[in-house]
Amino acid sequence: MSGRVLVVDDEVEMQRALRTGLQYHEFDVHAVGTGEEAVREAAAWRPDVILLDLGLPGMDGFATLRALRPATRAAVIVVSVMPGEKDKVRALDAGADDYVVKPFGTEELVARIRAVLRRQADVTSGEPVVRTGDLEIDLARRAVAVAGKPVHLTPTEYELLRYLALHAGKPVSHTTLLRQVWGEYAVGDKYNTRYVVAQIRKKLGDDPANPRYIVNEPGVGYRLEA
Amino acid sequence: MTRRAAPYVVAVGGAIAITLVLELFASYVSATSLSALYLLLVLWLGARWGRGAAVTGSVAAFLLYDFFFVPPVGTFSVRGPAEFLELAVLLAVALVTSQLAASQRLAQATAEALARDSRALYDLATSMLKANDITPALTLVCRSAVHLAAVARFAVVADGALLAGSPLSGDELKQAAWSHDHAQPIGIAIKDGAVITMKTRGTAPGLAYLPLQSGVVVTELDPEKSDGAELRMLAAHIALADLLLDRRRASIETERARGLEASDRLKAAILSSMSHELKSPIAALRAGLTALAAPKAGLEPEQRELLGDLDRQATRLDRMVGDLLALSRLEAGVGMETEPHSFAEVVGASVREMRPQLKGHELTVRIPDDLPPVDVDDTQLGRVVTNLLENAVDWTPADGRIEIGALSVGDHVEAWVENDGPAIAPKDFDRVFDTFWSGRASGTGLGLAIARRVVEAHGGTIRVENRRRGPRFTFTLPLAHVAVGQ
Repeated sequence: MSGRVLVVDDEVEMQRALRTGLQYHEFDVHAVGTGEEAVREAAAWRPDVILLDLGLPGMDGFATLRALRPATRAAVIVVSVMPGEKDKVRALDAGADDYVVKPFGTEELVARIRAVLRRQADVTSGEPVVRTGDLEIDLARRAVAVAGKPVHLTPTEYELLRYLALHAGKPVSHTTLLRQVWGEYAVGDKYNTRYVVAQIRKKLGDDPANPRYIVNEPGVGYRLEA
Repeated sequence: MTRRAAPYVVAVGGAIAITLVLELFASYVSATSLSALYLLLVLWLGARWGRGAAVTGSVAAFLLYDFFFVPPVGTFSVRGPAEFLELAVLLAVALVTSQLAASQRLAQATAEALARDSRALYDLATSMLKANDITPALTLVCRSAVHLAAVARFAVVADGALLAGSPLSGDELKQAAWSHDHAQPIGIAIKDGAVITMKTRGTAPGLAYLPLQSGVVVTELDPEKSDGAELRMLAAHIALADLLLDRRRASIETERARGLEASDRLKAAILSSMSHELKSPIAALRAGLTALAAPKAGLEPEQRELLGDLDRQATRLDRMVGDLLALSRLEAGVGMETEPHSFAEVVGASVREMRPQLKGHELTVRIPDDLPPVDVDDTQLGRVVTNLLENAVDWTPADGRIEIGALSVGDHVEAWVENDGPAIAPKDFDRVFDTFWSGRASGTGLGLAIARRVVEAHGGTIRVENRRRGPRFTFTLPLAHVAVGQ
């Protein structure tokens, strides 16, 4: 699988290293140094994935992310040095698909890019069944099974799992889960999502201390293993 | 004519004047009907001057009337009950009127005094509130207390020092501090907003200490003068002092919080910019080195091996920088955010992060399903678990066993990470947690030091001991007091 990757980083060394590394892995790469250029390039070149460094001079990463969203359907992977958990949540809630912490190796980055591309392909194909390991979530029939055995979830539990399944591989913040499952004006907090996830794990036979399906992202939220 | 005699002179004179008028008009009108004029005089005297003048007036009027108009005219002879009744009526009118007038005058005097007091307190309160600094306002209150509440001394003490008011001796300051520390009033107390005096032994008579929320009022009452009005004034002044002391404490606390917040923000900003400066070059290094390691780069196997070595060194440097920054962050005390968390979930995230390194080892997790939630900063606790797991991986031989577990013990949770491997010498039990103590080449020597800082920042302890198959690191975590799912 290959694709177009737009690198947004103000450091020339980083641009060059990423361009070289990603090209060796069959990606088409363009690199720009500012948020304004990124927005222009996203509209003109139509990349599949955008690697966006949060520490940009001028128009910063978050502003760029907001400006990119209406301009492109590309998956955005946010890149940052030691991001705080709040930054991660903010980036995810602003529409980022994943985040990678600098420094990283090319292999790791390539794996992340392939994961978001795969997810995009799944969404576009409208594949109604999401599989991860033994777990099968049939979105059309609203049915969940582990190793072929049906699992009965309450409507709330199913909604939460469905949302994670629709974004399999992507960390989903507690606030997004709350809004998606309980509605725009949900009264509640992280304890709601934690409690429901605990119930789902129990029914799926997933060990919170060594999870196979639903992974805890400390300070951020949850992610369904892709 | 002195002022004191004036009412009596007026009373007698008034009675004589009316008698003269009666004499003049007696030929035209009956004297009996005109005698009501005497009543008018007595009424006026009672209202104007009080009882003495009114009684004098009524006796004088009776005698004059009896002498000039009651037959036999020209003698002071009282005959028959009718005349006694007349005298009695006059006297009764005199007494009742003067009594009424007197109580009205007293009410008016009290009202005036109250108005004066309120005015004084109002002036004091407004000038006090206008003062930006608390101490001048307190000085004002102390001075006003001596003036209005008629106390010999009035002083305000806080934090063991005299803030304002009359000077105090060292012993008096000590006594005030004692009174505050033990919340024990001496000499006076406030009950339902009023000052009540109490008998004391051991202190000078009149000397009183009243502990307040944020300080102590020391005052010396003047037993001669302290009546109800003075004590009310004293209560009002104590209330004002109390208000000012609370304001003083609040402003001190705000100031302190503002200072801490500013220094926290500064530290966080410095650390964040340091992270960026130190990590960006490593990021470019690793991205470049790993880019060239791709098969398509067409390098020879030895060259790729060299690149692998270099990348491992870069990774180690990255870990070292990360650990140092984490340590400075902990030492700078940059905010921890604790919340109820499931320990199992925190372990889950660390285990997942460590999965590549854990490969080849047998990991056992022993966390009971019903382990109560812990009150922790989950990212920081995750660092503890990750560091302990890294340490265990480094010391465990291939195919060795690593165990992570937790139990609820009393009011906390006890968690541990144990591994197969060489025992730790008892003399090193403490030293392993020291900064830069490292028994191996690969570590940064900071992992366990960071683990200890984080655990201690949560109010817990960490220790190491040798179990049958290898060392076990045990740490404690505080319980959270809400329900949360496992």
